[in-house]
Amino acid sequence: MAVAPVLEVRDLTVDYGGESPLVAVDRVSLDVGPGEFLGVVGESACGKSTLMFAIAQLLMPPAEITGGSVRFKGHDLVHMKERQLRHLRWHDYSVVMQSAMNALNPVLTVAEQMRDAMKAHRRVPRKEIEARSTEMLRLVGIDPVHLHSYPHQLSGGMRQRAMIAMALLFTPDLIIMDEPTSALDVVAQRSLMVQIKELQSMLGFAVVFVTHDMSLVARFSDRIAIMYAAQLVEVGATGDVFAAPEHPYTEGLLKAFPSIYGPRRELTGIPGSPPDLRRPPAGCRFRPRCPYARNAEPELARLQEIVSPELLPIGDRLVACHRVQMLERAG
Amino acid sequence: MYPYVAAEEQVPEVRPEHHQSAVVGVLARVGTILATNRKAVAGLLLLLVFVVGAVFAPIIAPYPPDATLFVPTMGPSRAHLLGTTAFGQDIFSQLVWASRQTLMIGLIGGLAATVLAVLVGVTSAYFGGLTDHTLSVVTDVFLVLPALPLMIVIAAYEQGGGFWVLVAVIVITGWSYGARQIRPQAQSLRNRDFLTSARARGESSWYIILYELLPNMTSLILAIFLGAALYAVLAAAGLQFIGLGNPNDLSWGTMLYWAENQEALLTGSPLWVIAPGACIALLGAAVALLNYGVDEIGNPALRATRRKRGRRAGP
Amino acid sequence: MNGVPLLSAEGLTKHFSVGGMFGRKELHAVDGVDLEIGEREIVALVGESGSGKSTVARLLARLYMPTSGEIRFRGRALVSFRSRRDTLDYRGHVQVVFQDPYSSLNPVYPASHGVFRSLKLHQSGLTRNRRRETVERILGAVGLYPASELIRKFPYELSGGQRQRFGFAQALASRPQLILADEPVSMLDVSIRIGVLNLMSQLREREGVSFLYITHDIASARYVADRMLVMYAAHVVETGPVEAILANPKHPYTQLLLSAVPDPLAPVEVEGGAAAGEPPRVINPAPGCRFRWRCPLATDECAQVTPRLRPIGPGRMVACHVAEPDATDG
Repeated sequence: MAVAPVLEVRDLTVDYGGESPLVAVDRVSLDVGPGEFLGVVGESACGKSTLMFAIAQLLMPPAEITGGSVRFKGHDLVHMKERQLRHLRWHDYSVVMQSAMNALNPVLTVAEQMRDAMKAHRRVPRKEIEARSTEMLRLVGIDPVHLHSYPHQLSGGMRQRAMIAMALLFTPDLIIMDEPTSALDVVAQRSLMVQIKELQSMLGFAVVFVTHDMSLVARFSDRIAIMYAAQLVEVGATGDVFAAPEHPYTEGLLKAFPSIYGPRRELTGIPGSPPDLRRPPAGCRFRPRCPYARNAEPELARLQEIVSPELLPIGDRLVACHRVQMLERAG
Repeated sequence: MYPYVAAEEQVPEVRPEHHQSAVVGVLARVGTILATNRKAVAGLLLLLVFVVGAVFAPIIAPYPPDATLFVPTMGPSRAHLLGTTAFGQDIFSQLVWASRQTLMIGLIGGLAATVLAVLVGVTSAYFGGLTDHTLSVVTDVFLVLPALPLMIVIAAYEQGGGFWVLVAVIVITGWSYGARQIRPQAQSLRNRDFLTSARARGESSWYIILYELLPNMTSLILAIFLGAALYAVLAAAGLQFIGLGNPNDLSWGTMLYWAENQEALLTGSPLWVIAPGACIALLGAAVALLNYGVDEIGNPALRATRRKRGRRAGP
Repeated sequence: MNGVPLLSAEGLTKHFSVGGMFGRKELHAVDGVDLEIGEREIVALVGESGSGKSTVARLLARLYMPTSGEIRFRGRALVSFRSRRDTLDYRGHVQVVFQDPYSSLNPVYPASHGVFRSLKLHQSGLTRNRRRETVERILGAVGLYPASELIRKFPYELSGGQRQRFGFAQALASRPQLILADEPVSMLDVSIRIGVLNLMSQLREREGVSFLYITHDIASARYVADRMLVMYAAHVVETGPVEAILANPKHPYTQLLLSAVPDPLAPVEVEGGAAAGEPPRVINPAPGCRFRWRCPLATDECAQVTPRLRPIGPGRMVACHVAEPDATDG
């Protein structure tokens, strides 16, 4: 990356302690450049939400970061004191949650919540609070008359937009979004995605967008990172990954989406299930479900059984797959 | 061909949104909790002491409880661990034998009140509509009825309430608390898909209530039973103490009655009062402690988690 | 369609009373829906949440009683199924699969409990051994192996996909002619969905079961269904063969829906934003088309007259005043 990345995550590891301990995020590294839209894609229990919470320093016990680093504009977030973090939060980076109804306070109006958010992070004169709130609502396409509405008076789509408006109050450099569209219907979803892209080009913030639906980010993200069983398995430019997936899981995922365009084909999905993270298997975690693993030569098979593949560069891509890496070395 | 990955390799919930697929083998879970929750273990042991005492009364009690054979109003001695009553009966033997009726009232009264509470609460929640309205009104009426005057009226009417009268009084005055607790939980379960699924496959309403709905409410029902049993013990003892029980019955409550009647505290046999009183209190404590354990089964949040370091949330 | 359809509905309507003691209002969940399902057919009922599609399923499953309208099973009106015997009979023929794999199985029993119970109710003559054999066979038919092990498992030991398959197993146990599948894959992981959708096709081929597949995901509807009904605000607005509708959607709502589906293969489109707006909650509605506030083509007639379904091509119907049949048809 030519320009300094806004977010640098290195070997981040998150443990869940408690009754059944497990590693929910296993040595994940990624970079996000200024103004970039990174999609983080994975199915349930892959660790993507935990990863987001860890990056935003929002983990609650029994989850905790047990390794690695998160550098935001050069600052190390993991070891920062709470006071310093508060200074950064909302001003430099903010978070949009999955369900606005859970994140918005039902007994406060939109204006009151925006005011609270602003006052919590900066001394902002009252006039400016009003001006900002109005401007932000306009920016996300909500009529400012709704400043005095309560969350339940807004539709689902509007609530999500209000969340985004709140996240933008201080025009941060990075917004982390955890499945912000999953409660919306298809049309509202599309609307919201377009809106986010427009805001991005206007204001220049970076976005990390977590979702289980690959096709949702296909048109909107610059780069895409695929997670499986607490690990990153593929990272690359969106168009490239969709056109020519390297990792067998990515390949399987892409083939699991029926399309309304093109001819009707029979799809197979990916039989089986992700491994139990409480007892993760040695070696490659995707092996039991991998169509290529069956025909692997003995040497490769042995490697797959024992060693968990590293995320290594293959051309412009990062791929964690022994077979692909072996082919790369040979070719 | 890859076979479906065997069940051991599945990933049960790491995702926070989905609730714990709850109680499997209720007894197994109950057993685990009771074994690890210190309060529940204490309660259970204490209760066991009383139960063993009641069951093995003939062996444990040195003398027949009613036998007025001894020197009255004696203090504790080797022959009479707790001394004797004003009538010359061995207090310790009385205590042991008396536990039977007290425990039975607790058990039967508690059970009957619970059954009625569950019946009303679940029927109300499951059928909704007019049934719900009617039963709710009935529940509220009984809830609001002044219990003590009612108890006194009923017991006095029967001229010395024997065992069954006491049980009846307890049930009449005690069932509505449980019904009120059961209804909301039954309502929240009512719309779960597995109940609709049972309807869709053709089950009758009664089958669904008894076999699909109730088994999911066992921890609450257990808690209600313990509460009702506690209420039964205390209410019965109270009624007997003020003389509304049958004074010829043998229970801790009637012991208190006679002790009071003979002014035990003034005449130098305080143990005659203290022993049954303490036993009632301890029995109550045992039941309350057990209730803690049951609460934990239903609400895992109460379980003490080892607090680990982590960042606090908030924008 | 030859002969009498397996299940048909005419003017199916369901209203719920909402609001407090005073000013009771009517929520129109389903209004005047006509549909037909034939043998060995997979019909998709597509709509967003609040469109009424789930209510239609429950009406057809006799879990709700319609406010008005008629449902016929093989020509016989459902209201004539009065006795308990009759109702049980109907349930044997028409079964349901639910959306949420985490709440559709009773957690205190093994997952196969529902399958066993269904057999007890609908094939009561079986001995214990035969029943167990039959359950294992059904588990195999829905892709649950090894059946002898999974038969003992509790829901919490199973994955979402496995639980849904148990849902299908219970539905199959009564040997139904029709299964109403209410969003059976929406809560499953993407990589698991295809397996369950394929299962529906296989069951249609091998066991001859018809499906009414209810979903908000048009792409999966296309994947598995022959015909499609599109619902909006309690009305059916378009029906027809799936490919024909996708190739040439006639109702403006269908067009909007198709343009909004996220799909990497979609041609690069110009995105005009805003048909923002959401499907309405239909409470005490006025006459007129319920899509008119979001429709770029709305006319005066649309505001006054509620459009009814009318033919617009071979096997196709649409409820819209401005939709035109293809000029080339003929």
